Amino acid sequence: MLLVNLQVRIGERSRIWTAAFLSLSWAVSIPPGFRELTEALGFAAANGPWFEKIEAGRVVRAFRPGPQHANALGIVHGGMLAAFLDSAMGTAVFHALERRSVTVRLTIDYLGPGRVGDWLQAEGEVLGHDEHVAQVRGRLYGPRHDVLMGLGTFSLLSRRRVLRTRS
Amino acid sequence: MQDDNPPQGYLRIDFDRDRPDPTFNSHVGNLYLKRGEKGTHDQFVLGFRVHQHMCNPAGGLHGGMMMTVADLVGTMGGGFLVGLRKFLPTVSMTFDFVAPARIGDWVEGRCELVRHTRSLLFTTIYLTVGEEKILRASQVAKIPSGDGQPFGRARLDRSAKVAAERPPS
Repeated sequence: MLLVNLQVRIGERSRIWTAAFLSLSWAVSIPPGFRELTEALGFAAANGPWFEKIEAGRVVRAFRPGPQHANALGIVHGGMLAAFLDSAMGTAVFHALERRSVTVRLTIDYLGPGRVGDWLQAEGEVLGHDEHVAQVRGRLYGPRHDVLMGLGTFSLLSRRRVLRTRS
Repeated sequence: MQDDNPPQGYLRIDFDRDRPDPTFNSHVGNLYLKRGEKGTHDQFVLGFRVHQHMCNPAGGLHGGMMMTVADLVGTMGGGFLVGLRKFLPTVSMTFDFVAPARIGDWVEGRCELVRHTRSLLFTTIYLTVGEEKILRASQVAKIPSGDGQPFGRARLDRSAKVAAERPPS
């Protein structure tokens, strides 16, 4: 993926080629087993595409950050990483407990930089829960190192409650 | 383009002056800055209008958007309050999602200094809609030694203000 970084730095003239190269490399470099979350709406859709894989009872979410996810330093924005880890932790709750949930509290430690062009994965683990609240640990990592560590409290919604979506 | 209709005193922040591709701060939507008297509650206020593309499927402001803005209020606003003009990387953050926000709401972010050491900055950040708090965050940011990286290319877009003040011709 070094090539992608190099391509991004090359100036204006090669931008069309860069775009073509990026879309091609993204299309061919989605690791096996991952499905694109095409049902995403709003914020998730505007900042995707996001991918998901279910493996040995665990849900793993992934995305490949592009230049639009970078901050002024050229690494992935902390807010984007936080949003993505939050989504992976919420999905872990749904997968483990079959309950929809909303985040009440999320603590995040930034362990290392997320690189543009890397395949970043995130997963959550439900540590414990009662009828109303689940405690979740989350991890976001790249091909070389851990990027984020998260600890969250998720409020479980009633099984009967239907979340109406607005399109 | 959706109409943000920012309240009096806000100027849009142009994060990507002369940059060919927008960075994340521009990608999430327009963010505005209002600066007030030194030492007041409004010394540094970041604001934005909630649009569909910042929301979750249920039509509420997405937590990821709240976290993105809170992160920025802490590093940019916190740095501003202590007079640092450099990029402060975030070390750790805790977010409490207190209440939802809806499409059309004007969200404001303010930060409060907790402690400023040579290498770390501790802040508490609140996002509010009117008088109501929607997010409370606590942040630890690193203060790089030496000059560090300058704070990107962010500047205030004064063109709208200039246009408004110019007498009609």
